Amino acid sequence: MNPRALLIWVGAVLLLSLGSEDPVYRVLTLVAAALMLLRARRPGTAVTPALRWVGLAGLMAIGFNFLLSHTGQDVVVALPAWLPAVGGQLTWEGAAYGVDVALGLTACLLAGLTLAVATEPQQLVDALPNSLHRTGAALAATTTLLPRLRSSFLAVREAQSVRGWRPRGPRSWRAVAVPSVLSAIEGSVLLAEAMESRGFGLARRTSVWPTPWTRADKMLAAVTAAAGALFMTAVVLGLVGGWEPYPTLQLPGVDWLPTAGGCLLIVAAFCA
Amino acid sequence: MTSIAGFCQFSYWYPDSSRPALDQLTLELEEGMTLLEGESGSGKSTLLRCLNGLVPHFYGGRAGGTAVVLGRDLRRQSPRSLADRVAVVFQEPETQMVMPIVEQEVAFGPANLGLPAPSVRARVQTALAAMEVSHLAGRPVAGISGGERQRVAIAGALAMAPRLLILDEPTSQLDALGAIALTKALEALEGQGVAVLVAEHRAKRLPSARARRVALAKGRLSSSPAPVTWPSRAARSANFGEVAWSSDQLAVGHGDPVLEDISLSCRSGEVVAVTGPNGSGKTTLLRTLAGLIRPISGRVDRRPGRSAYLPQDPGALLHQPTVLREVTQTARWLHLAADPEAMLEQFGIADLAMCDPRDLSTGQRQRVALAAILIGEPEMVFLDEPTRGADQASRRRLLTSIDHLANLGCAVMVATSDEEFAWQVGDSTLVAEERHLTVAARKRP
Repeated sequence: MNPRALLIWVGAVLLLSLGSEDPVYRVLTLVAAALMLLRARRPGTAVTPALRWVGLAGLMAIGFNFLLSHTGQDVVVALPAWLPAVGGQLTWEGAAYGVDVALGLTACLLAGLTLAVATEPQQLVDALPNSLHRTGAALAATTTLLPRLRSSFLAVREAQSVRGWRPRGPRSWRAVAVPSVLSAIEGSVLLAEAMESRGFGLARRTSVWPTPWTRADKMLAAVTAAAGALFMTAVVLGLVGGWEPYPTLQLPGVDWLPTAGGCLLIVAAFCA
Repeated sequence: MTSIAGFCQFSYWYPDSSRPALDQLTLELEEGMTLLEGESGSGKSTLLRCLNGLVPHFYGGRAGGTAVVLGRDLRRQSPRSLADRVAVVFQEPETQMVMPIVEQEVAFGPANLGLPAPSVRARVQTALAAMEVSHLAGRPVAGISGGERQRVAIAGALAMAPRLLILDEPTSQLDALGAIALTKALEALEGQGVAVLVAEHRAKRLPSARARRVALAKGRLSSSPAPVTWPSRAARSANFGEVAWSSDQLAVGHGDPVLEDISLSCRSGEVVAVTGPNGSGKTTLLRTLAGLIRPISGRVDRRPGRSAYLPQDPGALLHQPTVLREVTQTARWLHLAADPEAMLEQFGIADLAMCDPRDLSTGQRQRVALAAILIGEPEMVFLDEPTRGADQASRRRLLTSIDHLANLGCAVMVATSDEEFAWQVGDSTLVAEERHLTVAARKRP
């Protein structure tokens, strides 16, 4: 898949997820993001561990809102007031708002995950315009940091074990954690240094083996652009309202224009 | 001769350092090859980083005096703006790989210069051919050996067609064929108006006969490299002891075997050295025999006892704030009554005892790692590329340390692309090539 087409799609997901608090549009965006993840990931790429983290982030968003908002009229349970932070009334409205936040958050995270599993980090660096070369260097350094961290952790644990290290409580892990983190950071700094030395950002970068724009890529970009345009038009016309469940739960308002934008985003996922 | 670069009374201090890494340096670099000599930590890598502007632009710190490359003031030019004239291959090429596929990696620099795509592709082909790694063009960078990566990194620098080519220990992981390919590539640059500056401890592997020589000592230009006090090698004991480890019909690799049908043993007091071309499976064999990875088939038997293992990246071991504490740590973990200061003395790093190991040069780090794993006389030792970044004195110290270990009854195995070291150190020298291990020399039965 052409990384530029995917970057356009990710931009549209972020726009729809963050551009309105209406849960209907967020559900549509989440469905689109999940579909794209399933369809666009490279063969053999494991996404289950990352999906667990995404799910956990969503659950935490719900939990925090439910436990900490204390706003709304429909009380689920009242916790003793002396409990720090969570003490007080826990409401259905707080939980509903948490679900809304979680929908937006997970849609954004799934879009980022799709980018990570559908393209190589270096493809993304290549896809960025020249004016964003510093972003590219930062992106390359950060996207290599986690894999470097994992490989250096394994190498360090192995080397220290042969040297006599044994896990004996949390403090003992310092012998593995410190060199792992330092090696990974050093590696990322050296990578950035190498990119700088080799002229990254000096001129308009040549696409030597460009990823071709296939018909599917063009379709994806066009449908995504249409989805974004519909949503932006709705925003300009004032058709995208906010949604708040407080003080009492109410159904979100739905307008056909942003809904059509969300539906087109789902259609775009089928173009991939 | 045309001057390519020049320093006049140039000094540089790293951030938070009171001692200059380069001290009042005055130096002129002309077309042709210049060999930069000096012990580990003498400032060679800093000087090389100066020449493409990484020092001080990337590292910060303070600089004084003047430094000019091809008429451009290095204190005003960023590394990026010098990239069309200056190409660098750092000491650890594996850290500078940006792209996932070999040909993309070599193309990365020329593509950044904005050259037309056909021109970039032609440069890539020429550079890969010059380093004799055309067969790797479509391979993933992550799947090639350390030596192959070094060749790819050099090809990447050659593809930039620089006026100043800077190579930091370019043969540290190269096999003999790799060194010959590099020699040919450097010879091809002669007469083309290119200056080549090479920091290399094994300079005789390069076309150094006509090269000018510059020596650094403690950041200052010195008339000749610091005199080396050679520790004398003790004679090895005449007889080996019992078998420490053995392998039977062993096949090693990650998925597909890189080496197979290996039946081998090492006795107490014996030193087995394995050398061979880059990517031939030396590291995989060493790690399998050390029990760090499972064999594909066959078996390995190791006598009970303490093993010591030096990984290719010594940074994997270093986590203490000082060199002394790093070496002491092993003794504490293993409850050994050993003298860490004697180890520092043995490896010539006593004066670095209170330094942070991660602030040291590659060669110095390697010595700290060796001291840290060899303290307390282990019974089996597995060393992966122990001479990486080592200057001549360090190589000699390593030889005497291995002699000492062998005489104490330790079974030592060394995997190295440094063939000269393999011949010097090994009671048996084996060559890994084309999936098989052959005995090249056996000094004693």
